[in-house]
Amino acid sequence: MSKSRRSRLTAILALAVALVLGVAACGDSGGDGDQSTAQSGPRTMTIWLMEGSAPPKVVDAVNAEWKKAHPNDTVKVELQQWNNITTKLDAAFAGSSPPDVVELGNTLVSKYAAAGALQDLTGSRGEFENNQAWLQSLTESCTMDGKLVCAPYLAGSRAVIYRKSMFAKAGITELPASLEELQAASEKLMATFGSDKRFSAFYFPGKYWYAALPFVWDHGGDIAVQDGGQWRGTLDSAEAQAGLTALKQLVDCCSRADKQGDELKQDQTFAQGHIAMIVANGWEKGVILDPKEGNPKLEKDLAAFPLPSRTSGQTAPVFLGGSDLGIAAKSKNQDLALDWVKLLAGTNFQTQMATVGGVIPNSTTLLDVHADDPYLSVFDATAKNSRFTPTSPNWANVEAANILPDMLVSIFTERASVADATKEASTRITETLNAGS
Amino acid sequence: MRAVETRPPSSRRRATPAERPPAPRRRPGARARRLRPLVPYTLLAPALLVLAAILGFPLYRLLSLSFQQYGLKELFAGRGTFIGLRNYQDILTDPFFWTVVARTMVFAGVAVGLTMGLGTLVALLLRNLARPMRVLVTAGLVAAWAMPTLTAISIWQWMFDFEFGVVNWLLTRLGVDGFEQHNWFDQPLQGFTVIMIVVVWGALPFVAITLHAGLTQVPAELEEAARVDGAGAWQVFRHITLPVMKPIFLILATLSTIWDFKVFTQIWVLLNQRPSREYFLLGIWSYSESFGVTRYGKGAAIAVIMVILLLLVTSFYVRQMLRAVGP
Repeated sequence: MSKSRRSRLTAILALAVALVLGVAACGDSGGDGDQSTAQSGPRTMTIWLMEGSAPPKVVDAVNAEWKKAHPNDTVKVELQQWNNITTKLDAAFAGSSPPDVVELGNTLVSKYAAAGALQDLTGSRGEFENNQAWLQSLTESCTMDGKLVCAPYLAGSRAVIYRKSMFAKAGITELPASLEELQAASEKLMATFGSDKRFSAFYFPGKYWYAALPFVWDHGGDIAVQDGGQWRGTLDSAEAQAGLTALKQLVDCCSRADKQGDELKQDQTFAQGHIAMIVANGWEKGVILDPKEGNPKLEKDLAAFPLPSRTSGQTAPVFLGGSDLGIAAKSKNQDLALDWVKLLAGTNFQTQMATVGGVIPNSTTLLDVHADDPYLSVFDATAKNSRFTPTSPNWANVEAANILPDMLVSIFTERASVADATKEASTRITETLNAGS
Repeated sequence: MRAVETRPPSSRRRATPAERPPAPRRRPGARARRLRPLVPYTLLAPALLVLAAILGFPLYRLLSLSFQQYGLKELFAGRGTFIGLRNYQDILTDPFFWTVVARTMVFAGVAVGLTMGLGTLVALLLRNLARPMRVLVTAGLVAAWAMPTLTAISIWQWMFDFEFGVVNWLLTRLGVDGFEQHNWFDQPLQGFTVIMIVVVWGALPFVAITLHAGLTQVPAELEEAARVDGAGAWQVFRHITLPVMKPIFLILATLSTIWDFKVFTQIWVLLNQRPSREYFLLGIWSYSESFGVTRYGKGAAIAVIMVILLLLVTSFYVRQMLRAVGP
């Protein structure tokens, strides 16, 4: 009896000791991060790509090509969702074995580069195909204090995708060439189809800030300006407010999208047939026509036109989105990772990304692959009149704090006037951009 | 009667040491006697060690983080900079903090009130139901309670969906205007009403079942005597049931306060993981500062302040409780 009690006590003590040691061991394992020398034996490399960036076909082809040079090693590609991606990236980079290659939205690169998460690729730049012809804005997003911290991957700029049949039925014969005409066309569409309670002429989810920026820029406003090293939020300027007021007018009359919603599912919603126009990237057509999630029958009915400016005959400046490929500074497979990135960023696969994926490729020399595609060339053209978010390492925090979506939701739901909502957003942007990092 | 029975065991226990001296069979040796006081601690040690590891260390980290400048750079390097009370100073001078505190207090207050009130009503209902119905209601409560939180909230989210939600559909069907394509979260007051429903729904089963168990301990003859003396239902509840049940009410109110003060998941999921600032309660704000904008130090300081506030609020209950169950 006393023996069994003692052995139970011993077992408990042993368990406790094991637990405590286990915790200590966990705490310790963070320290050995600098064994970056190539190990022998087969290695496994992890790649994080964003949902919707590269078609599976292209990824498979890149992996196969890479495997030829590294027959013993394995590559694992994991698709990530855009929603709350920064939280996930923060945690991944904080660990001792982050993914070896990460696709980063071009507005997020400076945050991670400034914190030292990305490998310096300056010395390897010469090994990349087309590196002298890389799109300028992507190259800038990859440059930090004169160093190259990632490779340009793809760009995307938005235009309006619309249903030709709906325009015809509403009697719209000419595509809107000004903001005023866009408003008029939307109102006509609402008059024709509006009895369908789910119908939106100009579908605009409330948090879609990428698509709201063109209205701000077109009226002469901006998000923030830099003044002697200090940032100042400028969304409360008269110009920016005028742009947002014009957008609100369009949303009020002609969008029945969720005012709290975001654009992540807009293609699937568009495919259901109750929408005449969405603001979208070129590649989103593929999602709309997807046999599983979308509706392939719409193929012949889709076309695109650039978002018009308030000045007739011109287009509004659009946000140049895009992604870059970075290699984690803590990666133990630098050589493998670099080879993989060089493939996907190179001529062969960039051409495939452009033709199969419908994105804007990373180099000016590859831009002509869309030239005779009447649909995709619309998007390429808008990229020429494009703008970008403030180039501050703190910009990612403006995104993470949802400052722009909050402002838009307040405006559209009329929780706050345009003046009050923009004032608050500007104050927060000023604070966030100037915060010590 | 049964309530009275709970007394004897404790008084008997108190009597044991006095009984013991005359009846020691085996006299423990001097060595064993010296070691004896150590036995409880030895037995407690493993549990204490585990607690220290899984609770103490995180708490220590939280406190030390709250005194540091700790952002992304520090996270990657694994080391922060000590800045004293600056995080606290930033928070306490931010008018938004006071808005969030007031909002959290009001929200928790209303939620606790509703949970306790409705829980009491359901418990009283259970007592007065015939057996088959009581089993049915209890099963319903247990089912609601057993449902994983995330699953439950997601279903609530679907029900209140602006486009396909059954609530909008039903209201439109019933002829109420303006609920077609209506987003319940456009206006915070309405949004918080939905959140409140989901929170109270989730907390109700535990409170109702516990109170029902407590009700079975109320001596029936006391209530009967009161009724014979001419007391109405409310008077019986107020003067008999309530005093007997006070300790249980206090424990449940304390637990509910703690739960409702730190409501997070409901808001986070219902608002698609991107709640706007109108929906920030202290927990959400702390999370958003830490993991959203990577100011871990400030986020930790908010969490510490939140714990202190919670201690202040619950200390009231705890004092009442000690008084109620004390000698």
